[in-house]
Amino acid sequence: MTVNARYDKSNLFFESVVGWFFSPAQNLFSNSTKAISDVFDHYLFLVDTSRVNDRLLLEVDRLSRENNKLLERKKFLERSKKLVEYFDKDGSPFVVAEVIGYDATQWSKMIFINRGTDHKVEKKLTVMTDAGIVGHVIHSSPKSSKVLLITDSRSAIDSLFQKSRESGVTVGTGEKTCQMKFVPILAEVSVGDKVISSGLGGVFPKGLMVGTVLDVVKQNQELFQEITIVPSADLSHLEEVVVILPSKEEK
Amino acid sequence: MTYLILGFVLFFLFSVQTTLLGMFSLSGVTPDLILIVAVYCGIHSKKNGGIWLAVLVGFFQDCLSGGLLGVNSLSKGLAGLFFCALKDKIFVEGPIPISFFIFFTSLVDGLIYLLAMTSILGGQAKGGFFFSSVILFGIYNAVVAPFLFYIFDKGRKWINLRLSSQAFDTI
Repeated sequence: MTVNARYDKSNLFFESVVGWFFSPAQNLFSNSTKAISDVFDHYLFLVDTSRVNDRLLLEVDRLSRENNKLLERKKFLERSKKLVEYFDKDGSPFVVAEVIGYDATQWSKMIFINRGTDHKVEKKLTVMTDAGIVGHVIHSSPKSSKVLLITDSRSAIDSLFQKSRESGVTVGTGEKTCQMKFVPILAEVSVGDKVISSGLGGVFPKGLMVGTVLDVVKQNQELFQEITIVPSADLSHLEEVVVILPSKEEK
Repeated sequence: MTYLILGFVLFFLFSVQTTLLGMFSLSGVTPDLILIVAVYCGIHSKKNGGIWLAVLVGFFQDCLSGGLLGVNSLSKGLAGLFFCALKDKIFVEGPIPISFFIFFTSLVDGLIYLLAMTSILGGQAKGGFFFSSVILFGIYNAVVAPFLFYIFDKGRKWINLRLSSQAFDTI
């Protein structure tokens, strides 16, 4: 056979017959051995597997939690970085705060933030995101503060249109939008116009984004237009905000 | 011990009210767990204890809200007073009576807040929006209340079994 292999000769007839004769038995033995081996490996020798499995499941749980925590931390840092970069350009001092709760009643639009007098957060300070004004601080304790959102029906911001410089007062409606009041009927206002704070009133500094015009209704017999404004900041998904602290000159 | 457990339950409910409940808002409306607690206290307390408890939870709610201090104390106190005074004359057992009375109380609570907001706080409330919100608020509370009542009942019975007899009914 060796000679045949070396010189590339075809198999002998005897070889083929023997191979054909023994192959079923070989297969049978081989499969049986494998099956027995499997029984030992995957059944009898699995005394510790359950414990290992439990340990691994715990490990997977721990790693998932850790991964989730790190992802959240990463997202938090990304958002904070965005806020800090935005407000750093402005130069005025600020403090980043996290939203920790909402109003305990149905009717007020208010949030709690985790910064208070310990962090120099006081009443009447402006609260913002990089998109625009969120509201102002109405009460501060050492570790937390209450922020009245601009959509609350008691909120009012003296504002003006960025393009036309027409002025008015942006008031909350208790819904998701605000209304701009006292804009003369002849003023040119169109949907999509940007509204900024005018700086009057003493709470909100001039030039901060308030919102965008969503709808304008002009009725001939009225003196003023009915203007609906969507706040620039997404007030329904607030996570981090910035409290603008008074600068040294303001103090 | 009774007061400690009560304090813990209130602490838990206030925490839920100011954090998690926002996730279950329907058109910006969330149920008022504190109102349900005030009504429950009014119905299940002995003598006039429920009124003071309702005023107290209302006061805490005022402290955790951006509104005028006292509005919730007043509305919850009135709810406590109403149910304390009438608890022997009305039957508040089973889901339908509970839902009915909670719906009714929610409307009163919303109207008190509307009056306070427009008259004292000088708020700019849109009537239509507010009334539709009050109705939805009432319905939402009416749906949630039977579950909370059931949990409170079970909790009260469980505590009474383990602590001195009728510990919770002494308030």
